[in-house]
Amino acid sequence: MEIKEIISSGILELYCMGMCTAVESDDVKSWTVQYPEVAAEIASIEMGLENYARANAVEPAPGGKEKLFAHINKIPVTDIGNSGKGEQLPIQEAIVRHISPVWKWAAAASIVLLIGTAVTSVLYYNKYNNANNELAGTRELLQQEKSKMNEMKQDMDIVHDPYSKAVSLVGMGQMPDATAKIFWMQNTGEVMIDASNLPDAPAGKQYQFWAIVDGNAVDGGMIVTNDKGIKFRMQKMKTFGKAQAFAISLEKAGGSPTPTAVVSMGKI
Amino acid sequence: MPEILKYREEELVMLLQAGEQQAFSYLYDNYAGALNGIITRMVEDRQLAEDILQEAFIKIWNNFSNYDPEKGRLFTWMLNITRNLTIDTLRSKGYKKQRKISGDENSVSNYSSDNKVAEKFDTIGLRKRLINLKPEQRSIIDLAYFNGYTQDEISKEMGIPLGTVKTRMRSAILELRKLLQYN
Repeated sequence: MEIKEIISSGILELYCMGMCTAVESDDVKSWTVQYPEVAAEIASIEMGLENYARANAVEPAPGGKEKLFAHINKIPVTDIGNSGKGEQLPIQEAIVRHISPVWKWAAAASIVLLIGTAVTSVLYYNKYNNANNELAGTRELLQQEKSKMNEMKQDMDIVHDPYSKAVSLVGMGQMPDATAKIFWMQNTGEVMIDASNLPDAPAGKQYQFWAIVDGNAVDGGMIVTNDKGIKFRMQKMKTFGKAQAFAISLEKAGGSPTPTAVVSMGKI
Repeated sequence: MPEILKYREEELVMLLQAGEQQAFSYLYDNYAGALNGIITRMVEDRQLAEDILQEAFIKIWNNFSNYDPEKGRLFTWMLNITRNLTIDTLRSKGYKKQRKISGDENSVSNYSSDNKVAEKFDTIGLRKRLINLKPEQRSIIDLAYFNGYTQDEISKEMGIPLGTVKTRMRSAILELRKLLQYN
């Protein structure tokens, strides 16, 4: 746009009155930088309007200035102006104060300190969390060890029991290494077996325990070898009041009413 | 005159930027009347008008760092703060923009007696010159300048096409400038 066109269009007048859109304002601002004539025209318009405002001035209420300064200096408004209306400003403006550089530094230092403290707190919180987790892990481990100890003690109690009678079963035929130990409680008839030396039963097969009572093989229950937690502990078999021998046979999973392949035997 | 006044304004701005209360006192003495004139055009309630003037000056004081002399004269900036504050206050209190178009009955005769600020700036002299401003020219300026009307509102208020608001404003202000020019 030509400078003359800009000036005569009336847009500068609207600009000075704050009636322009944001886009128009931006245009005017760029023209003032570009064209000194435009800037001068705006100054003249502003001056004209300023004079117009002065021509329409209305004297402020007496005491207004004192009240204003009291507010700025944060002095309580009491007797100032003597208007008797006790008017308090309903406005709560933030007061801008000039602060000595020392305080600025102090404030900056405390912010740095605060941030530092916050960072340290986070670090220590993480450490605390890790330590806590470690402690929980250790406790769990301890619990596990304790229960293992307990199990071992129970097993050892069986061995130490004055009524327990140990019977060694030795491997036979095709499985010479199929050995196991029986602890037969003489007072209760309970039978415990330590099958830890028994080879794992092949897939689909299971060891079955037998008591030979008066020449007959009586089912004494199944022996677990595929679960190490059970295999390496004493396993409780069926109770026998009397027996002449104990035997183990390898049967299909689930057991058999009569032994088909005896792999280990021990006479009492 | 423009040279001296410009220098003074720059000095005033510098002092205010430095937070000089004496400069602020000068500012109040010089401009409170003009700003109050704008407020009282829009606000009938005297107490409310006083409060708005107070708040406007507190805003001017607190936000002085926002004033950029590159963007316009100090008074224009203060006027915008004052007018926006007045409009916002009225709106928040449920008022609509008040239709108080000043005719001759308003500005020249009514405000003469107890106006001390006026004497400082030869306000009465300025007012006398305004008698020669055509009523419709005065109206269009007043609606925009004192009442914060938009172009659209002025067009409706005065019953003139929207497109001519700009040109009417231009000629009215040109006339105003001619009339209020210092010797």
